[in-house]
Amino acid sequence: MTRKMRRTIWSWLALSPLIVLILFPFAVMFITAVKPAEEALQSTWWPSTFQWSNFIKMWGNTNFGPALFNSVYVAVASTLLAMVVSVPAAYGLSRYRFKGRGAVQQFLLVSQMLSPIVLVIGLFRLVAWLGLLDSVESVIFVYAAFAVAFSVWMLQSYFSTIPADLEEAAWIEGASPWQALIRVFLPLALPAMTVTAIFSFINAWNEFVIALTMLRSQESYTLPIQIFSLVAGRYTIEWELVMAATLVATVPVAVLFAWLQRYLIRGLALGAVK
Amino acid sequence: MKRSALTNPYILILPGVLLAGFIVIWPLVQITEIAVSEVNRFGQLRGFAGLENFVAVVTDPAFLGACWRTFIWTVAIVVGSIAVSMPVALILNEDFHGRGIARIIMMLPWAVSLTMTAIIWRWALNGESGMLNSALKALGVIDTNIQWLAQSSTAFPMQIMIGILVTMPFTTTIFLGGLSSIPDDLNEAAQLEGASPWQVFREITLPLMRPFLNIAVVMNTIYVFNSFPIIWATTQGGPANSTDILVTHLYKVGFRFGKLGDAAALSLMMFAALLVLTLIYVRLAMREDKS
Repeated sequence: MTRKMRRTIWSWLALSPLIVLILFPFAVMFITAVKPAEEALQSTWWPSTFQWSNFIKMWGNTNFGPALFNSVYVAVASTLLAMVVSVPAAYGLSRYRFKGRGAVQQFLLVSQMLSPIVLVIGLFRLVAWLGLLDSVESVIFVYAAFAVAFSVWMLQSYFSTIPADLEEAAWIEGASPWQALIRVFLPLALPAMTVTAIFSFINAWNEFVIALTMLRSQESYTLPIQIFSLVAGRYTIEWELVMAATLVATVPVAVLFAWLQRYLIRGLALGAVK
Repeated sequence: MKRSALTNPYILILPGVLLAGFIVIWPLVQITEIAVSEVNRFGQLRGFAGLENFVAVVTDPAFLGACWRTFIWTVAIVVGSIAVSMPVALILNEDFHGRGIARIIMMLPWAVSLTMTAIIWRWALNGESGMLNSALKALGVIDTNIQWLAQSSTAFPMQIMIGILVTMPFTTTIFLGGLSSIPDDLNEAAQLEGASPWQVFREITLPLMRPFLNIAVVMNTIYVFNSFPIIWATTQGGPANSTDILVTHLYKVGFRFGKLGDAAALSLMMFAALLVLTLIYVRLAMREDKS
């Protein structure tokens, strides 16, 4: 047996308890989602038949469609808003040394660390004052603002890796700053912007506390709140439908995340160094 | 160079700073104002109250319990996730067959929202028909069902376990970043000198990982201290507030009991605690920056 083969066996063996623990909730979710209703409450592992119609029933019974629409709307709109203000800010921070630059960076770092929960009382009043309570727009506004710190931090660390010489060369060639930006800088920055936007999207997609506080009627629920409302304070819970809903709400985003996590890691690493 | 909005950094950063500042500073001012005011149930301020709200917060019997549990919750998850993540990172840093798949599996808990994870576990831990009980019974570990979430003695450890599980991917990621910055020849040289793997880890890897360990501790402390969905979606702090931590306690005081003054005072106290943690983080990050 080669060294690598031996190491393979030991590595998988050492990781196996953790792998079981990680995959266990996924197994629970998948299996329950396809169980017939009368079997969901029985403590058997395997369903007698795979009842795919649960997904259709779930769609009709759980207000899934409107909540899905709200979630997509909130995540897309808040991401767009965050990017529109974050890209110029990150560009300014990475390209220019100016008075107050350090203060802005520290402010962003601190506000990135602040979770919405300690501010939720004030945010609630702010939203009430703006007359946006129970509207998804309030959530868009708050998510975008909280995404700014993270996005600027992440974008800035990527932008700093794009040499400023390229734009300066374009200026010397007679391009205006706008032309240099659009023709030279943006194409190079596009991958970083895409990745940052996707993470902002995922954060908005998953957020719980703000949505729970601001959204009070079912028409405005996003997916996490809608699914939470199916289990919270109910005497009978149709678990097979809840798990079907969880599965549909979770898997697309989880795949996206698994695919992109290495970019996040690189961004975090760059952010820590720069 | 031509003058344009693009060459003025202040114009570039203004919208972002305004938006982020508005959402942090305005609420903070509001909270401070509410915290020192007398407030009725409908959120109307009825005059200056001094420190009354703060006194009400700390004399609430539920507050001390929540403080204590926040301490246990934070320390257990931060320490636990480091204890799990360090070996995982060391394993994933070595070359073996299927490493790519192993990495993706280890990152999975990070990919699912905390709310969804907590709802799935709430079902898996169900006392009558939960699949954890049926799995443990099938394996012969237990023979009567355990009501996992019905008492805090089992609910809280389970919530901590879930917390460790979802914190592990991020922590492992930081450690992998640290491990990749250690040059390979350092380990090889030590091995040639006859050092055992344990000695290599203690004398070379661990000291070089120190900065990454620091960052993992501070960032995880902040995240875990703030973590709301795991407890809220499994037990909502129950039964009888026995699994409440400060964030769930705060939410109940503010939105369930409608004591906005108390909730604002508690928010300010937690904000101060977070600010201290964040300043520690900023100092650590800046120190990294210099070296």
